Amino acid sequence: MTTTLDTKAASPSSVPKRARTRAQARTRRNVLLFMAPAFLGFLIFFGYPLIATVYYSFTRYDLINPPQWIGFDNYVRMFSTEPLVGTAAYNTLWLVIVLTVCRVAFALGVASVISRLKSGVGLVRTLCYLPALAPPAAATLAFVFLFNPEFGPVNRFLDLVGIDGGLWFNDPGMSKPALTLLVMWGSGELMIIILAALLDVPPELHEAASLDGAGPVRRFWHITLPSISPVLLFGIVNSIIFALQFFTQAVVAGSAAAGSADVAGNTKYIGAPQNSTLTYPVWLYVQGFRYFNMGYAAAMAVLLFIVSFGFTAILVRQMRRGAHQEEGA
Amino acid sequence: MRVTTPVRRSRRRRRGSMVLCIAAASLLTACSGAAAPAGGSGGAPGAAPGKDDKLTLTVYSKFTSREYDIVTKALGNLKAKYPNIEIKHEGNQDDDKLTQSIRGGNPPDVAISFFTDNLGAWCSNGSFQDLQPYLDRDKIDVNQIPEAVRDYTTYQGKRCAMPMLADVYGFYYNTDQFTAAGIAGPPKTMTELFEDTKKLTQFNPDGSIKVAGFMPSMPFYANKAEIWAPSFGATWLGPDGKSNLANSPEWKEMFEFQKKLIDFYGHDNIEKFKSGLGDEYSADHGFQRGKIAMMYDGEYRTAFIKDQTPDIKFGTAPPPVSDSKPDRYGGGFTTGTIIAIPKGAKNPGASWELIKQMSLDTETLVQMANGLKNVPSTIASLTDPKLEVDPQFKTFLDMYSSGKLLPNPSTPIGDAHLKAVNDFAESWQAGSVPNLEEGLKKVDAQINDELAQKQAGG
Amino acid sequence: MTILTDTPRPTSTLPPRARHKRVWDKRLYWVATHAAGLALGVIFVLPLVFVFLTAVMKSDQAMSSSLWPTEWHFENFVNVFKQAPLLEYFTNSIIYSTLATAGALLSAIPAAYALSKIRWRGQTLFFMLTVAAMMLPPQVTIVPLYDLWVRLGLTGTMAPLIIPYFFFDAFSVFLLRQFFLTIPKDYIEAAKIDGCTEFQAMTRVMIPMAKPGIAATAMFCFLFTWNDYFGPLLYTGENQDSWPLSLAIASFRGMHHVEWNLTMAATALIMAPVIVLFVFAQKSFVKGITFTGVKG
Repeated sequence: MTTTLDTKAASPSSVPKRARTRAQARTRRNVLLFMAPAFLGFLIFFGYPLIATVYYSFTRYDLINPPQWIGFDNYVRMFSTEPLVGTAAYNTLWLVIVLTVCRVAFALGVASVISRLKSGVGLVRTLCYLPALAPPAAATLAFVFLFNPEFGPVNRFLDLVGIDGGLWFNDPGMSKPALTLLVMWGSGELMIIILAALLDVPPELHEAASLDGAGPVRRFWHITLPSISPVLLFGIVNSIIFALQFFTQAVVAGSAAAGSADVAGNTKYIGAPQNSTLTYPVWLYVQGFRYFNMGYAAAMAVLLFIVSFGFTAILVRQMRRGAHQEEGA
Repeated sequence: MRVTTPVRRSRRRRRGSMVLCIAAASLLTACSGAAAPAGGSGGAPGAAPGKDDKLTLTVYSKFTSREYDIVTKALGNLKAKYPNIEIKHEGNQDDDKLTQSIRGGNPPDVAISFFTDNLGAWCSNGSFQDLQPYLDRDKIDVNQIPEAVRDYTTYQGKRCAMPMLADVYGFYYNTDQFTAAGIAGPPKTMTELFEDTKKLTQFNPDGSIKVAGFMPSMPFYANKAEIWAPSFGATWLGPDGKSNLANSPEWKEMFEFQKKLIDFYGHDNIEKFKSGLGDEYSADHGFQRGKIAMMYDGEYRTAFIKDQTPDIKFGTAPPPVSDSKPDRYGGGFTTGTIIAIPKGAKNPGASWELIKQMSLDTETLVQMANGLKNVPSTIASLTDPKLEVDPQFKTFLDMYSSGKLLPNPSTPIGDAHLKAVNDFAESWQAGSVPNLEEGLKKVDAQINDELAQKQAGG
Repeated sequence: MTILTDTPRPTSTLPPRARHKRVWDKRLYWVATHAAGLALGVIFVLPLVFVFLTAVMKSDQAMSSSLWPTEWHFENFVNVFKQAPLLEYFTNSIIYSTLATAGALLSAIPAAYALSKIRWRGQTLFFMLTVAAMMLPPQVTIVPLYDLWVRLGLTGTMAPLIIPYFFFDAFSVFLLRQFFLTIPKDYIEAAKIDGCTEFQAMTRVMIPMAKPGIAATAMFCFLFTWNDYFGPLLYTGENQDSWPLSLAIASFRGMHHVEWNLTMAATALIMAPVIVLFVFAQKSFVKGITFTGVKG
């Protein structure tokens, strides 16, 4: 009767070589079996498409006729003649900066308040998380309705207190801020993570610091912030990636605000008003799946990948340090 | 037994998986070709089905509710000739979905589109099948269709769709409000339009708009650049086939006039008002609720008004024209519903029989025209005694026969040029464009960029 | 000198005046924080309340600026089913979400187990790849993937959405791996000493012990797929029969006679199942969220 031994548990000298190799082979087989779907999935749905996208970016392809190699033409077009890709990139960049700052700051603020509550924590936490459960398309429609300049409750309420509400989703200068409000409203998930981290900060640290005379602001800066910094970093990178792929809310808001009778990505009203809600992923989609310039869309995708990978690498490097610490334990 | 150090082994494994990835990728992309299945794409016409053949034809269209029912009934007329053919009519399919289904290899057997905007694209990349062989085989004379309508169903001489009822865009005005304001008849020139707008507009005490004489905001409802264009005689492409807005005095005149109207209301004011108006096809349509006194719209609006808000008293007329082009009066913008056989349709012969009936059979056309209040597209159906003509609808029929209709040009870029110009109109009316000609030059550049993408082979 | 309320010196040892002030400071603090908490709760939930209120209004009232319904039309919730084939969309959503969740669990549990409980070369690398895949914007890979599905003839159905979950769902693998790490290896070792194979150890020991984590992962998967808009837009957009609810709601205004009140009613109906799910399964949800916190 052979006992299955974990390869690490047995010291090399106490187990005969053949048993060890057989155990290793068994482990390898188990790993392959367990990981098979994941390996395959990664290859088929990530590895292959990434490489293929790069290939397609050098072609002209419309799905009906075979792809034609055109070298760097798509990239040249992207950086010189195509007029809307610059606007799209600007919109997404705007969102990356503003959404990240607002989302993280707001989630941090809300979490801070909740962390100090003594009663009703569960209720407030639930209420704050509920909006995050809403399907983004539905939530956007709801927001467009609420912020309707003519009959929406928000402007009505602002009128009561004497403030001129403005055109919100119908104003190209206000549409992105309005979208930011929508995202902040739905930031419940991030809020809960930060809340958990805040609650993890040892209270003794706070007590010691305040005994030394540190005010609440200094305590926050020097104790709280460093303690929750891994979570904050995660929140920041997560928000950046979220902004980079911002699609649904932009499309639905643009169409709904334009009074379009059909939403679901009708080309005519994408980006309304005045292309202010035309984000990079949306334009990629329109170029590829409405105008069927698929090669060009692939070129746009490559650029998007490079940018998002940069941010992902930062996070992965930070996690790697953590993962190694865990494995050593 | 060989001993491989851990580092070397992991590097080897990493390299190995990279190679595997690249190999798989190259294999798959090398096999890439026309992704959509072939399946009857021109050349010899498909044979007509036998009289008792049993099959199902799928039809995609954008019709919904009331209109959907009317068209479904008309489609059913095919059963008289082919009793065993089932027709499955899917409504609410817009042009984007049509395109997607064709590219995705799941096309319907017959495609119906509300707009001619994408015809050029569909024709040039083979999404719609060439119908000439069918017309030749069945000896059909296309001259029974007026020229403008014939034009918007061909691209560079290739006919890949048939017109199924036409749309003419005219002018609607609220007769009660006209009487109240003391205006005798509908405006014939742009100056008159402006004066009438001023008289018909009512403001609330706080300065917001209560009733708008005329809604100049673009694009909104039927108020779009392409629909205004014929009133000013503005054309899209220059003789070289490239976009030519910046050098066109007609486009400039049109935009200047539009800005004049916007400034009369105040841009923010009109945008606020606009956001409170109901959906284009609902009973809450601004004109149908008396919130707008005059507007451009298609002849189909008469049916909607009759069905949804019959109490509104309205009149129709050809749209006003630029003061400098009085001879254009009586014409306007035309487009229409088109019907075609998509690439990959399983039974093109049967599809053609359905198309023949829906686009050329007088009885079917008159039946649909009466129900949808669209203009029947053949001369025979126009003069058919069974066609119901009330005075408001007659305006459009007269416009249709006036010979002064202007359609959109068929381009291979679908409606990208329309988006470009309407986008520009939005910025222009908001005051974000300091120099009109410079702005139009940018629009030209955008349109030409898209055209260049398509012309080079794709 | 004012002493802040959360300092350790017990109130009872202070002189009377300072004690009184301390008590009041504490009360003020309590009031301030709880008022803020309440305000926040209200702000977050207010839009949802408005959605519901509008949903029961009459159609012309929905377009006016009145905030409170003058008449209550609960039948709007029924009428939305007549306006559009909501039941069909609902069924599609259920099929998509349940199958995807089942697939994710089937494929991710073994993978997470291998990543957390077995030592093998390349393990950290693959975990990092998982994180990278998790963060990848979907638009990067859609062009070749769409092409692939077209060639397989599966566009217009939900298959392109569901099938990948049976192979690799990065988020589920990540989350489950984090959960599994919290379960001490000793239990696994004990099982193996008793003669279990790796597979049996996983099914008989790990899975029962990790039930909360698995439940949380399942719920996240369900939530994400229930709310997914982009994927269905891309693959089922052309075929209305395959639309799930999340896509259909955006098209709701496309059918002529739909008013805002019905749109809001439909919105409320779509949000209802997940809200109910959350209310009942709060603890698991919250636990799950904190595990994505990535402390390392």
